[in-house]
Amino acid sequence: MAETTPGHIHPISSLIREANRIFGAMGFAFAEGPMIESEWYNFDALNVPKDHPARDMQDTFFIKDEKEMVLRTHTSPVQVRYMETQMKKGIEPPYRIIVPGRAFRNEATDMTHEAEFFQIEGLVVGSDVTLANLKGTLEQFFKALFKGVVEVRFRPSFFPFVEPGVEVDMRLTGPEAPEKLRDKWIEIMGAGMIHPSVLKNAGVDPSKYQGFAFGMGLDRLALLRWGIDDVRHMHSADLRFINQF
Amino acid sequence: MKVSRHWLEKFFDQPLPDASALSDALTFHAFEIDGVEKFARDDILDVKVTPNRGHDCLSHRGIAKELSAILKLPFAHDPFTAAGKDSVFSAAGLQGDAAKTESSPAVSITLEDPTLSPRYIAGYIKGVKVGPSPTWLKRNLESIGQRSINNVVDATNFVMFNTGQPLHAFDAGKLTQKDGKFHIVVRKARAGEKLLALDNKEYELKDSMLVIADGNADVPVGIAGIKGGTPAGITEATTDIIIESANFNSVSVRKTAQALKLRTDASSRFEQGLSPELASQGMHGMFEFVQHLIGGEAAGVFDVYPAPQQPTRVSVSVEKINKVLGTQLTGAEVADVFQRLQFAYIEEGGMFDVAIPAERLDLTIAEDLVEEVGRIIGYEAVPTVPLPIVGTQPEINQNFYTAEHVRKQLTDMGYSEVFTSVFADKGERAVLNKVDSVKPYLRANLTDGLDEALKKNIPNKDLLGLKEIKLFEIGKTWEGGKEEWMVGIVTEKEKAVEEPLSQHAPKETVSQYEDLPLSNAQRFQPFSKYPYIVRDIAMWTPAGTDAESVSKMIQTEAGELCIKVSLFDQFQKGEKTSLAFRLVFQSFEKTLTEIEVNQIMEKVSAKLKEKGFEIR
Repeated sequence: MAETTPGHIHPISSLIREANRIFGAMGFAFAEGPMIESEWYNFDALNVPKDHPARDMQDTFFIKDEKEMVLRTHTSPVQVRYMETQMKKGIEPPYRIIVPGRAFRNEATDMTHEAEFFQIEGLVVGSDVTLANLKGTLEQFFKALFKGVVEVRFRPSFFPFVEPGVEVDMRLTGPEAPEKLRDKWIEIMGAGMIHPSVLKNAGVDPSKYQGFAFGMGLDRLALLRWGIDDVRHMHSADLRFINQF
Repeated sequence: MKVSRHWLEKFFDQPLPDASALSDALTFHAFEIDGVEKFARDDILDVKVTPNRGHDCLSHRGIAKELSAILKLPFAHDPFTAAGKDSVFSAAGLQGDAAKTESSPAVSITLEDPTLSPRYIAGYIKGVKVGPSPTWLKRNLESIGQRSINNVVDATNFVMFNTGQPLHAFDAGKLTQKDGKFHIVVRKARAGEKLLALDNKEYELKDSMLVIADGNADVPVGIAGIKGGTPAGITEATTDIIIESANFNSVSVRKTAQALKLRTDASSRFEQGLSPELASQGMHGMFEFVQHLIGGEAAGVFDVYPAPQQPTRVSVSVEKINKVLGTQLTGAEVADVFQRLQFAYIEEGGMFDVAIPAERLDLTIAEDLVEEVGRIIGYEAVPTVPLPIVGTQPEINQNFYTAEHVRKQLTDMGYSEVFTSVFADKGERAVLNKVDSVKPYLRANLTDGLDEALKKNIPNKDLLGLKEIKLFEIGKTWEGGKEEWMVGIVTEKEKAVEEPLSQHAPKETVSQYEDLPLSNAQRFQPFSKYPYIVRDIAMWTPAGTDAESVSKMIQTEAGELCIKVSLFDQFQKGEKTSLAFRLVFQSFEKTLTEIEVNQIMEKVSAKLKEKGFEIR
């Protein structure tokens, strides 16, 4: 029995691979950015001014002896970085990107919360991109990911970098849906239409362009997808977990 | 915020639908509901007011107004309407507007810095009778988890939970009068000043903190917008009171509350930023209680409001609304939303010029009004429209391409991928404020984490059915002043090594990602935290015996405590084939004993012998 048993990729890597494939087919490019981020990109550029109570929503890791630098609390800073870079290259919208990656929150860990986690961000900018397109895009994504009949609904919510802001729920129906998830509305992500200030901060003219953005936890998506009982498995480096995928 | 259904009904002439219908209305048009509880015959909704609506919705009035718009129920009893104002102030024997009663001789007010306290209204009431509150008031407060204290304090709390404007009552008898006049000063605390607050704790104040001071005695009597002090607290002996209905700067209140670790219902409202216009609503609300609840008579209202809030208007066109939402709403539908929200507007050729209510500080740009229309109509009205198809291939991300390529190569070689923590006990850069304060550094390498992961996995080798543990990680490290993607590997035989991911970048430009396999896992199988026991069994079988079916037989006989059966050796000798299996036993409920496992193994041996196999 000399042949090598193949190893396993991490379930998060599999999800990112799959998300990139699905979104890639819809014309989304894969984008990334630094994990040590400036407060400007992490907060201010995203319309979260200093002393705004919204900053309380994020428990931030600040970097020691480096002024105004943080471990990014979400993948959203890449929205601004990407648009800014494109504009500097003279490339105007349309833009379509996804940003899978790690983010960090300074909080105690439990079965559903980790200080280190994975997110996937999406950004679409164009002259006539609408909230209806957001619904269409997410439905297409979840259909491909969960294989089967998927419905998507929006509820009002608030994130400083979008206006209107929505909470997104999805529901899987039909025999192909995993039994534990079937016929239930599941809160899955935050999204909305990019706030004009965010476009402006990235150098994009909000009177010419508009678009949507969304962000969701990949760990949570993995938990739902495979019925994983504890988010702490993700960073456990335990092959009893990883080799199941 | 806890909201009572019974309390909400006071704003309407008609009964409200049941709690579940109210929850749905709010959930799909305004706010998430964290829960619904019963309180006697009332229903209490825990409404998760979003930070952008802290200006107006941390109150029953705010939530009722939302429900009025969502459910199309006339908002019959708005405490903020002009009619309400008139009745209140005439009841108090005053003129129709608080601002006109500035000439009160009894109280003078000094605002040291109006940017920190944009407005201060003091209402002087003489001859009150402090005592227990009537049942209805106690019940209202208790229904939302508040404790009844006395009629005066309860009245101020009621007004806050009703209108969103925090109030405070001072015992005028404990404030100093000079030439028959009280003097209220809103100023920064002086270094070293202390205040025994109403929670009976002494707070040491800093010169960044705003206080309410008795100007004639020059002592603090309250921490502005946060908590009153015992020096002027209400007691049963109190007869004359000064009611404060003021506006304080949100940042200042937030910082002080944080520094003192003193967050109150008042501070959590001021922190959100309140309209100074609310202050007069709050005072009106309080004066409604004067005659019939707390007794006494209004002796004057003093209002200092140096820079009144200017009315704002925001314009939005029907075209813009449809362009953002992707809907086809008509002007009439948009007008209906604004009417339901009681927004005054002027419409001209599809353009709505909307007068924003003073308390709605969240509405400043056209997109804000787009959201109002979208959420009140309901987002189910937004159709599902796929993005138009683009002809061009999206740009390839070099790092991701390389990472994927390396992942494929390493898994083919038997390595499994782990993610270890970026936090380490040494490194170049560190975080300042880690909650658990262990491992504050950002890792300078992947190898330390990989070594640790290897050690952790080795004891599970048999359980995993692996001959050797081989791990890899693709992740960022922080070293030499830069953040870099690295790839590291470790095996039991070779120590951990790493190199920059970029060394594996494709030599030529690539136009698409490789088509690599996805995980085919269906469901995660939880694993036991108890130790496992391994047993090997080898046997001679007639040549041509199917190892797979023997394995199945063993599994059936060994039962569910046997979580793994694997063939680890097989060879031929003449007419016989030797098969060797490894069995792993583990329970989800307990630590298995050797005796239990030996008994199972005897059963397995017996079965195999029965089949005519010779156990070696």
